[in-house]
Formats: sequence, C-alpha cells, structure tokens
Amino acid sequence: MTSVLRLCDVSVDYATPAGPRRVVDRVNLDLDSGGTLGLAGESGCGKTTLALAVLRLLPRTARVRGRVLLNEQDVSQLTWGGLRAVRWAGASVVFQGAMHALNPVRTVFDQIAEPLRVHSVERPTVSALRERVRELLERVELPPERARAYPHELSGGQRQRVMIAMALACEPSLVIADEPTTALDVVVQAQVMDVLRRAVRERGAALLMISHDLSVLAGTCHRLAVMYRGAVVEQGETARLVTAPEHRHTRELAAAFPTVGDAGSRHVDGSAGSGGGGNVLLSARGVGVTFVDRSRTRTRAVRDVDLEVCADETVALVGQSGSGKTTLARTLLGLCRPDTGRVRYRGVEPGSSSGSLREFRRQVQLVAQDPTGALNPRHTVYEAVAEGLRIHRDVVGETERVRAALEAAELRPAADFVGRFPHELSGGQRQRVVIAGALVLEPAVLVADEPVASLDATVRGEILELLLELRRRRGLSVLVITHDLGLAWSIADRVAVMRAGELVEQGPVERVLTEPEHEYTRALLAAVPSLPRVVD
Amino acid sequence: MTDTLEHGGTRRSGTVPRTLGFVARKLGGAAVSLGLVAVLGFFLFRVLPGDPARTMTRSAPVSAEQLAQLRHRFGLDQPLYAQFRDFLGNLARGDLGTSYTYNRPVTELIGERLGPTVLLVGTATVLAVLLGLWLGTRAAWRHGTATDRWFTSVGLTLWSVPTFWLGLLLLMAFGVGVGPLPGLFPVAGMSSPDVPPGVLPRVLDVAHHMVLPCVTLVAVIHAQFMMVMRSSLLEEMGAEYLTTARAKGLRDDAVRRGHAVPNALLPTVTLVFLHLGMVVAGAITVETVFSWPGLGLLTYEALRVPDLPLLQGTFIVLASSVIVMNTLAELLYRVLDPRVRA
Repeated sequence: MTSVLRLCDVSVDYATPAGPRRVVDRVNLDLDSGGTLGLAGESGCGKTTLALAVLRLLPRTARVRGRVLLNEQDVSQLTWGGLRAVRWAGASVVFQGAMHALNPVRTVFDQIAEPLRVHSVERPTVSALRERVRELLERVELPPERARAYPHELSGGQRQRVMIAMALACEPSLVIADEPTTALDVVVQAQVMDVLRRAVRERGAALLMISHDLSVLAGTCHRLAVMYRGAVVEQGETARLVTAPEHRHTRELAAAFPTVGDAGSRHVDGSAGSGGGGNVLLSARGVGVTFVDRSRTRTRAVRDVDLEVCADETVALVGQSGSGKTTLARTLLGLCRPDTGRVRYRGVEPGSSSGSLREFRRQVQLVAQDPTGALNPRHTVYEAVAEGLRIHRDVVGETERVRAALEAAELRPAADFVGRFPHELSGGQRQRVVIAGALVLEPAVLVADEPVASLDATVRGEILELLLELRRRRGLSVLVITHDLGLAWSIADRVAVMRAGELVEQGPVERVLTEPEHEYTRALLAAVPSLPRVVD
Repeated sequence: MTDTLEHGGTRRSGTVPRTLGFVARKLGGAAVSLGLVAVLGFFLFRVLPGDPARTMTRSAPVSAEQLAQLRHRFGLDQPLYAQFRDFLGNLARGDLGTSYTYNRPVTELIGERLGPTVLLVGTATVLAVLLGLWLGTRAAWRHGTATDRWFTSVGLTLWSVPTFWLGLLLLMAFGVGVGPLPGLFPVAGMSSPDVPPGVLPRVLDVAHHMVLPCVTLVAVIHAQFMMVMRSSLLEEMGAEYLTTARAKGLRDDAVRRGHAVPNALLPTVTLVFLHLGMVVAGAITVETVFSWPGLGLLTYEALRVPDLPLLQGTFIVLASSVIVMNTLAELLYRVLDPRVRA
C-alpha cells in the first residue's frame, strides 16, 4: 500500500486585522491508495480549509504550516508549474453545491473537457475529447447528450454527477469530495453517493470525503476522522467509531441525525397525535395549484390535496425537492391562490373579508428555510422582531412584547440581542430571531419550511428542541416541511408524504414510518442513510 | 429510478419557436417605441413657445403678408392634425422637412454630417470601451493593489473633468503649441485644403485631424466602462467556479480569460450598446471645441436659432438609433447568456 495523502502536523492560520486566526490545528491524517476516509465536522470546524490546503487553493491570507504529501510529494515545495500539473491530475475536487462550482455560461462538455486539454501533452483532437466526455458521462449515468447542456438546465443531482465526471476526467489518484450531497434530497443523495462510490472504486482512486452528516460518511468510508474547532479529535475504523465513539463531539454529531424507527430519538408522545380528531385549525380540501411558465407549459404543482393541522399538533410534510411541498405551504399561508379547493382557518376561508385575511395572517406564521436570507441585514434584531407588530399596527407595549418573544425563542437575556445585526449572530441565533419574529404575533400555527436544513448538526438539535418546547408550553401547532424523514420521526405527531403534487400517504408517524403502505414512502425510507445506533 | 424520482430535467423541444417568439417580441417592442418617438418628436417641438416664422425672419423686418406666406410654405397655417398627418406621410418617405436656416432638406443635412460623427465618436467609443474593459479587468484582478488604485483614480479624475476644458487644454498644448513645443496636430475641422490627391494621403490627413478630439473623448468616457467592468468582475471573483477552474490546474490568466471575464462582461453589454446608440448624437462639446463637422455641431447650431425641423430631425435620428442599439443588445444578450434562453 502506498500513501496517497499524508498530512503531517498541518496547521492553517488566516491573517485578520486582529492577528492570525487558527482554523486548522496540527492535523495528522493518512490515506492509502484506493482507501476511503471520511472527515466529519460542523461548518467552521476547518474541514473545507483542510481540503483546499491539499491543492494550495486557499486565499493569500491563509498560511499553511506542516507537510502536505500528495503521492509522496510535498505540495508546499512545488513550483507554480509543478503545482498546476498536480492539480486535477493528481487530486481532483467535487465541490459542494455544484450550481456555483460550475461556470454558468459554459456547456458541460466544455467544462469536463477543459482539464483534459490542460493536462495532456499533445493537444487532443475534438473527437477524442467527445469520446472521452461521453464515456465519463456514462460512468456517472448521465445520457451523453447532456454534454451540450448548460448548468442551469440540469437538476441538482445531475449537476453533481457532472461534477463527479469532471473530477474523474484525468484519472487522479485522489478525489476530494466536499459535502457532495448536502443540498440534495434523500433519494437523489442516495443515487449520487452510489455513483461516486462506484466510480471511485472502479478507477482505484482514493476518496477523501467531507460532510457534516456522519451517517452519509459511514455508508461510504472505511475510516472516519472527526474534526472539532480545527483539530481532529477522534479517528479510526468506521465501525468502531460509530458504535463506540470516544469523544463527546462524535456522540453529538451522531445524535444530531435521528434514526427512523429508534424509540430513543423520538421526542413526542405518540398518543398526543390525534390524527385529525382534535380541534381543526388549518385545513386544505381538494387544493390544487397550477403554474404556467413562459413556454406555456402547465405544471400541476399541487393536485387535490386534503390536509389538516389540529390544535396542539405537529404535522410533518415530507417529500423530495420539487414535490410541491413549498407550494402547498405557501397556499396554506394564503400567499398563493389555489385553482381548485379551499383553505380554511377555524372553518373560515381567509380573504372572504379584509379583516379575516389580516387575522389569518396573524394566526398562521411562517418560519423560512434560510434565516440569513429572511433577515434584512440592515435591521437590528429588535426591528426584525417588531416588524410584524408594526405591520399589524399593534404597537401597544411593543418593547415588552419583543423582549418576551426573544426570550420565548431562548435568546436570553433579550437585552443582549436587541441591538445586534444579523451578521453579528450565529446561524442558530438567526433562526431563533426568525422564530421570535413569528412568535411575537402570538400565532396559533407555525409553518416551518425546512427550519434546520441550513443549520449545523448540533444547532439543529437545539432548534428542534425549541419547536418542541414551544408546543409543550404554548400549545403551538407546527407544520414542518422537510425532506428529512429523521426530522419528521423525531418531532412530528403525524406525517404526510408528498410526491409530484399529491399526498400519497398520511397518518401517525409511528405507523407511516415503520409500516409504510405506499411504495414511495418505502423508497424514501430506503434512501435514508442510517447509522448503527451509537452506544452511550 | 433516475427518471421517475429525479425531477427537473430539461425540455429542449420548443427552443426554436421560443427563440423566434422572443425575437418577434423584441422587434415588435422596438417598433412601438419608434412609433412613440415619431409622435413625441412631432408634438414636443410644437408645444415649444415661440413662433417659428418670427424666428426665421428675426434678422430682417418683414410684412404680415410675407409672414403668412412663410407660414404657408412650411405648412404652419394648417390645423395641427393635418400637420401631423403630413409629417407622418413625409417621415414614411424619409423626408424630415426643410431646415429654416439652411433652407435645405433636413435628411440631406443629417446625412452629410452623419459620416464624420460616426467616424469620430464611433472610433472614440470603441477605443474607450476596449480600454475601459481592459483596465477594469486588470484593476479588479489586482484589486486593492497600487495598479488598481492608480487606474481607478486616474479614470475618475478624467471622468469628472469638464470635456470642453480638457479639449481646450489639449488643443492649446498639442494643437497651438506651448513654448518650444510646436503645434503637432491641426486645431480645427477634419481635413486640410492642401492635401495631395490620392486615397492614402487623405485618410492620413483625416486621422491626423481626429487625434485630439478622439483622445479627449476616450480620456473622459473610458472611466465608466472601467468602473462597471471592475465591479462586475469583483463580484465574480468570489465565485466558486473560479476555485474549480484553479483546482483543474489552469493558469491564472486562463482562469481570468476563460471563466471570470466572460461572466463579468454580461452586465457591461447593455451599457456598451446604449453608448453605441448615443454615438449618432455626436459629442456636442468636443465637436464644437474642435470645429468637427458632425451632428453634434449641427445640433449646437440648430439650438442657437432654434431651427425646429432640424432639431426634430436630429431628435428622431438619435432616439431611433438608441432604440435599435438597445434591441440589438437584448438579442445579443440572449446569445451570450444561456440562462436567458431558458
């Protein structure tokens, strides 16, 4: 076994006005040829910085210490020309979120062929390049005519396949995959991981895979390393690490992704979920929404959906991206008009009078997916939370109510937060501000669209805990929209499964997720990466 | 499995009819704008205060009959709708009326001035665009360095300098000559009377005349292209696809030329084409300072009188050229940016 990648005491510091900031702290890692190593950790723990340091792709403000040996060659000693020769031919990268990692104005063929042109001694002929690109696309199970497409014409999963094809172009001995499936839903994630695993194994390349999701890594890598605040806190064989983790942070990471069917990760008492028998707050009857795009193609985003949210109940709406979940949620919020069917709140159709619409908007509040996008960067926390009250011209005791809402969202003491701006807060704190902004109007129903998708593993648990707590203390009903079945399992009473605009199955979580009736629900469950339960 | 569970593939069919529809929509929109320009051109110059017949005869005392005769000759005694009808009819035949001051068809006057203007302002605009985009690219790629600060501050200083002042300064320094420095370039017009016959000497003579006005224009207007290109490229520089390109082993300048610049150029397309449309307007100040026989000078002279048919004619020609160029920009954008085609 020869070593493909060896990191010896690698540290990375970023120069900042306040002095150097250490991002990676004396990391030692080894990866043999053909081996697979998973690097787990939260965002900001330094895992991406470490990956970029392998090919010296870091910005000029970064300073790398220690030795990075790629194919037994010290990368830091290479000349620029030598470095360019090693890039992609020695080690290639599958970047996170391929929408941005691909050039929007160049075709798939151009982008895959580019490294082939750069790294061949003689100029390859166009027909040779075509043949090679076709072969690469076949390997990632994309039809060869996709070579003519531009990135925006591809779905998220297809873009990630293109990225993988590109990474394999020069037959590198190491492929670094940085969160290759983070933005994808479970089913597509499973397919892409399958392609990546197979393609890397067939070519005998080593794989360094980076993710915040331990269960995704566990399904692919033989060895795992866990990073925390720049340092590797634990590493070892996958089976050992997930069954008997030694470090506290490894346990936290493992616990953040609940296993469907495991009683220990279920946080609600199943008996509370009355399954529609309770006091119905929000209901959809026969709701259908159709969009007409520029080419006059009609898309039926939602078809004939019946859904209810009762008092003191958490309902999870699950499905893949593009299944119409968000459109249905927007319709329930009154932001989108249904073409057919009715949405009612406490039996009344909102919008039948202007007063009822306003009252409805107060009672049903939205928590958006990305807290960074949902907050105005120029508004303080106070302004962000008070805005709802101001819109409803309900300003009596504003200061006091904003403070109460912030405390209810567990931003304590509220006085510390009111004057801050979004960029001074962490991701989890921002999401709490968004939740406080919804709570300040004292709604009866909260519609949360992927509330934790953009958050870190450990923060995610805290936000879910907050949603549970709000329900316990205030009897708040929550409709959670998610592609994450583990999330539904851990906090919801009832679950509704959506596919291509239709609800294929709904019922109590325990029943639907352990004994699914519909084949689609079974397919979704099969795609969820599972982690052998970590022993405490 | 892939087909049933992964949505969001493309529908390539129907691309051609959609493109045709797009082109038809844009051309239709441009035609409507051109129609509005014609209407506006007519009424705008009719609501201006002052009696055209009196303006024409300002220099000499005239009798009431002579005035009435003049009004009749220019159709000014007709009701407004009749005048408008005649105007539209003439416009369709390419007749823009007769100039009061020159007593010649406006179309003919504009026609003979168009060439010099397009030559001078067109050349200057193309040079300014190329220079601005090149400097903007360099400044952004080395942003924060001395190069960046130097390009930016020189460009902005020249942009803020009054054009006539810079023109006069250059005229004095290089045209008239200062101290021991002889006058290197001609001071006025676009050709000398004593040019030897033959094509080459005449071309060289015109080029010689063009240097100073052209340098003045380029110096003043290149900064806006530079600034737009600079900020547009700076925005692209954080993009992840550039990291991908670097990771592929591309040279720094290949990353810039092959990936960053094509994306950064997109926002400049509209700006450049708007400017190309304005070329026809000439450059009133520069043409006046250097006595360049172009449309700018013609407009300046027409404004002093004021010569309404001539102003109306230049207005229509200028507005139409802006509309045509803008339409071209929109069509070109669709070719350059695949995302717009979707």
